[in-house]
Amino acid sequence: MLLTEAASRAITQTLLGNVTADDAVVTVRSEDYSHLRFAANTFLTSGRREGVTARVTVWIGKRRGSASTTDLSGPSLKQAVEDAQTFAKLAPVDIEYLPSLAQQTYTPSRGYVDATARIDLPARARQISDAIAQSEKANIIGAGFHQVSLESRATASAHGNFDYERGSLISLGMTARTPDGSGSGYFARNHFDVERLDTARIAREAIRRASDSHGARMLPAGAYPVILEPQAVADLLDGGMSFDARNADEGRSAFSLPGGQTRVGTRIFDSRINIISDPFRPELSKFAATEEGVPAQMTYLVRNGMLETLRYTRYWAQQKNKQPSGPFAFILEPPDAGSGVDEMIKTATRALLVSRFFYIRTIDPRSASVTGLTRDGVWYVEDGEIKYPVRNFRFNQSIYLMLAPGNVDLIGVPERVASSEGGTDPLLVPALRLNAFNFTSQSDAV
Amino acid sequence: MIRREFLTVASTALGTVTLAPWILEREAAAAAEIDAAKSALADGALATAKRLGASYADIRINRYRSESITTREQQVQNVARSQDFGFGVRVLVKGTWGFAASSIVTVDEIRRVTQTAVDIARANSAFQRKRVTLAPVDRAVAGWKSAFEKDPFDVPLDDKIQFLLALNGTAMKTTGVSFVNSSMVWVNEQRFLATSEGSRIEQYLIRGQPQFNVTAVSRETGDFQTRRSLGGPQARGYEYIETYPWQAEAQQAADEAVAKLKATSVEPGRYDLVIHPTNLWLTIHESCGHSTELDRALWWEADYAGTSFLTPDKAGTLRFGSPLVNIVADRVQPAALATVGYDDDGVAAQRWYLVKDGIFVDWQTTRDLAPLIGRKKSYGCLNADSWGSVPFARMPNVSLEPGAQDASLDDLVAGVEKGILIYGDGSWSIDQQRYNFQFGGQTFWEISKGKIGGMMRDVAYQSRSTDFWGACDGLGGRSTYQLNGSFVDGKGEPGQVGVVSHGCPAARFRQINVLNTSVSMT
Repeated sequence: MLLTEAASRAITQTLLGNVTADDAVVTVRSEDYSHLRFAANTFLTSGRREGVTARVTVWIGKRRGSASTTDLSGPSLKQAVEDAQTFAKLAPVDIEYLPSLAQQTYTPSRGYVDATARIDLPARARQISDAIAQSEKANIIGAGFHQVSLESRATASAHGNFDYERGSLISLGMTARTPDGSGSGYFARNHFDVERLDTARIAREAIRRASDSHGARMLPAGAYPVILEPQAVADLLDGGMSFDARNADEGRSAFSLPGGQTRVGTRIFDSRINIISDPFRPELSKFAATEEGVPAQMTYLVRNGMLETLRYTRYWAQQKNKQPSGPFAFILEPPDAGSGVDEMIKTATRALLVSRFFYIRTIDPRSASVTGLTRDGVWYVEDGEIKYPVRNFRFNQSIYLMLAPGNVDLIGVPERVASSEGGTDPLLVPALRLNAFNFTSQSDAV
Repeated sequence: MIRREFLTVASTALGTVTLAPWILEREAAAAAEIDAAKSALADGALATAKRLGASYADIRINRYRSESITTREQQVQNVARSQDFGFGVRVLVKGTWGFAASSIVTVDEIRRVTQTAVDIARANSAFQRKRVTLAPVDRAVAGWKSAFEKDPFDVPLDDKIQFLLALNGTAMKTTGVSFVNSSMVWVNEQRFLATSEGSRIEQYLIRGQPQFNVTAVSRETGDFQTRRSLGGPQARGYEYIETYPWQAEAQQAADEAVAKLKATSVEPGRYDLVIHPTNLWLTIHESCGHSTELDRALWWEADYAGTSFLTPDKAGTLRFGSPLVNIVADRVQPAALATVGYDDDGVAAQRWYLVKDGIFVDWQTTRDLAPLIGRKKSYGCLNADSWGSVPFARMPNVSLEPGAQDASLDDLVAGVEKGILIYGDGSWSIDQQRYNFQFGGQTFWEISKGKIGGMMRDVAYQSRSTDFWGACDGLGGRSTYQLNGSFVDGKGEPGQVGVVSHGCPAARFRQINVLNTSVSMT
């Protein structure tokens, strides 16, 4: 059971009431989380966790201290405040201190749906059993993960700000493998509204991809034209490119230029690329404020291929006379309707169709270059048709150059997808058809 | 003798025992009171689970304390302490797991949450295909604490801050250094486990992760290079801060970060590699640690972490590496992060070979995995990262044994005509079956005709696990052995963070593929 707004407000008031420091920000969270995990066509683990956390950050003479506790009883909250104040007295002056926010105006988020919170145990068990039954019928070994996450967060400041938010999320991801281990497929989606999660489609897509990837051929490594499905794009872009302004200004980012300049105001990507942060986009509906209380706003980071701005913390925004950035919600979209993956295949002369990437790590931050591997489905496309499945590759690729003018061929329709390695935070990203993508070695993995 | 911290019984009224969540410092003599309070709560959970039809149940009542300090240059960015207290109940009903957890530790809440765990197991059991069976385990009533000399939570905060700022100051004095970030994190786990088979186990663990990162920026060229600390996290107390040469390493890191700006960019090709333990630990972790997890081999991790190129039929037959390669799983090694007295199944910590004389010989197992390959006992690899997480198979410390001869790093280098010496872990990536990997590092040094030469940069080595270990033709001796590890080893759904150490000597590998990772932006 999540904390209500009234209960959360009362706890923040108790915390702030114990504060004798000059300034304070307090946060109270609650969660109700449940999951069902299956593999080898049988249920593995399943559970539910309910928890609360209170965190207090204080400043005494601009000296900062922070403490948290998972118990919300009066003595515990008082102890947490005292701990934070004790740490603050011992800490050096925080030269980046800014007074906590006064009351802000927030646009309510729509990312909480009661129906998502009401999903019941037998119904979930039956739904996952159905997915396993689909696998059994197709002679496939299924593994997957269903979760429902409900959370509340209240933030209050000593200067009078208060914000309360709730969010819901339901997700299902499934990996299907042929019994001989020669084919593997994956599909996952999540949503804040249970009615918008098509679990049957997820199982169907994973199973189809496993069957279609069976018996893959080995191709030589090298640069290939590619069609990246939205899942693969999300895997690459989630965390693969930092828009942090301070790093760029300090000369340690792909957006830095010699002489202490940045690439802001220059065309860096294909002119059809728009990268936007918009937590209010209906398909995302994320929290309306950061934990510090900065309200959400819609921001073009890249417009028509030009780097328009970067993301600023409150401190760095003050230093650079900019607006601080609200919560991040990554959207990559073209200016027009975009192409479907089927259309990208039909009009391709030669390409590799990639469904998912795995184990992506930065190898050169100066060029936003990453390494990683394809996983769970790569197919060779020629003359408008999928010809055959292909074994997996390792790639080394600059994301920056991947989106540069001359390399982006077609941009698809944005979909809500979360990185398959990065948790449940959704992005809104399209499929991409690119002229070249650097595969550097072959992988035996299926 | 360390001081114990414990929970005090705050109120006993109307049959409700509430464990006070804030920590009161008491003397060790009062420790029995904790056991009594926790045991009373545990009895309630286990009796409820039995009454509701569970064939097995356990409860973990755990507290996690952490302290973190983060700095950059001469600023302290944050000082934070947290404590996280709660319990998790795991039940087996009709061969199906159920789990529930809460941060409210009272008799009533434990009863309610146990009911929830049973409800979950029962709902799922109606559709379960394969029933879970558990390998037998000896009943244990025991206490255990990790090996540390100086509890970091007793060290004054100011000492820690001054230590970090001194590190930063050392690095920033070097011409060409632009930024330094440093931090230290300390964790104390107080674990209590009670099982329906009669085990009652209490454990107290300390571990820490000091680290820093030096950045040198060339404003003229737009280039920037970093050099991260080489000393890894360890299950030690504050004595780790006082005995490791952190200040000397900060100076060395500063010099090397600046030198990297002008280092020679590597020519791609095949090289002999001499790999220092500060780099090799991560290659062991990814290529051997994860591939020998039995849950992966049985496709239990297929949806996320992946499966393994090792399959149950390959134990005892597959050549994993050269005959020099002996790799042990170990949950008893002092100062190692995954060392415990007992795992979350209540199985006593053990040491066993995964690779012997180059042959893959054994697995990492838990009570529910071991029977699936015909084993009668678990090796004790069950672990949860929180009271609120479901315990599952996690990696023990996995380490490469040193060579029989006490060869030095220089001895290994002397046998290389054209090669690269690698220190420190950098970028890392491996496929979902643990075949194809690619690793970077912190510093790279040319080896020519048996001698260490100038600094190189932009190096990554890429290989296939069995090819790489098969190419090992030289091991350093005990004097080159070091322990490194990870504080943030991710696995599982829902994702959990594991801690694990990997010890190894310096080692030599012949003719490994080396890539140049730099990319021109023009």
